[in-house]
Amino acid sequence: MFTSLDVSTSALVAQRARLNTISGNIANMTTLTNEKGEAKPYQERFVVFKTDDMGQEKGLTGVQVDRIEIDQGEPLYRYQPDHPLAIKDGKWKDHVAYPNINMNEQFVDALEASRAYEANLGVMEVTKGISRQTLSLLA
Amino acid sequence: MWNGILQNSSIETLTESVKFAERRHQLLASNIANLDTPGYLTQDLSVDNFHEALQDSIAASKQNRNLTGPQDDDSANNISKQQAQQHVHKVYEQILYHDGSDVSLEQQVTNISKNQAMHSTAISMLRHQMHTLQMAIAESVNV
Repeated sequence: MFTSLDVSTSALVAQRARLNTISGNIANMTTLTNEKGEAKPYQERFVVFKTDDMGQEKGLTGVQVDRIEIDQGEPLYRYQPDHPLAIKDGKWKDHVAYPNINMNEQFVDALEASRAYEANLGVMEVTKGISRQTLSLLA
Repeated sequence: MWNGILQNSSIETLTESVKFAERRHQLLASNIANLDTPGYLTQDLSVDNFHEALQDSIAASKQNRNLTGPQDDDSANNISKQQAQQHVHKVYEQILYHDGSDVSLEQQVTNISKNQAMHSTAISMLRHQMHTLQMAIAESVNV
């Protein structure tokens, strides 16, 4: 019985990881340089989940974060010739590269993650109820 | 004597129901946990198959009792019951989403509620049976 609590917990952990990357994406919406100070706009990160067979029983599958992918799409170019990070030459001369993050997408994703989190909490409550009832046979 | 008490009451049957409901709950919890996992397919245990197996084995044990008096369930029935409990199948009712998964939250939540109701019914009846037994043992209604 307690293994279903483990399954739900694995989902809580995974959804929290997802929420963390989403907050990272939103926090870095206008980050123009990377950690080394190079003019490279932040690129959206997203988690990919995979099933995690908890190893014991057939059919019992938890979830885990498979990998964190970095979006390889084009950045957004804005015309800002006076900006210190403006591109010097080429097609996007005088433009500044901004992260291409769609806030609506991020919020919808965050909403989905927190609803999934809630759903798993709900399942945990039911699991606890079932265990409590079974144990109540003793008393 | 004790075997007779257990066989004439529904304690065995109810225990099987409780075991089944708990096993099924684990699967339904897995389904909810994997709501956002690409390529995950809904899994479930068939309630109908379980009830059928349970019914068969009740019928068989009744027949046995009529012929030879109380005795333990024969092993064949236990096996079919176990198979009904362990046969995890993939459910193909939902259209796949674009990521290859097909878990419908609403469907799963409904299943969990139904399953919980089945579990608590069985537990309540079990408690009642135990209470009755205790009353008989204590020879008093105030147990």
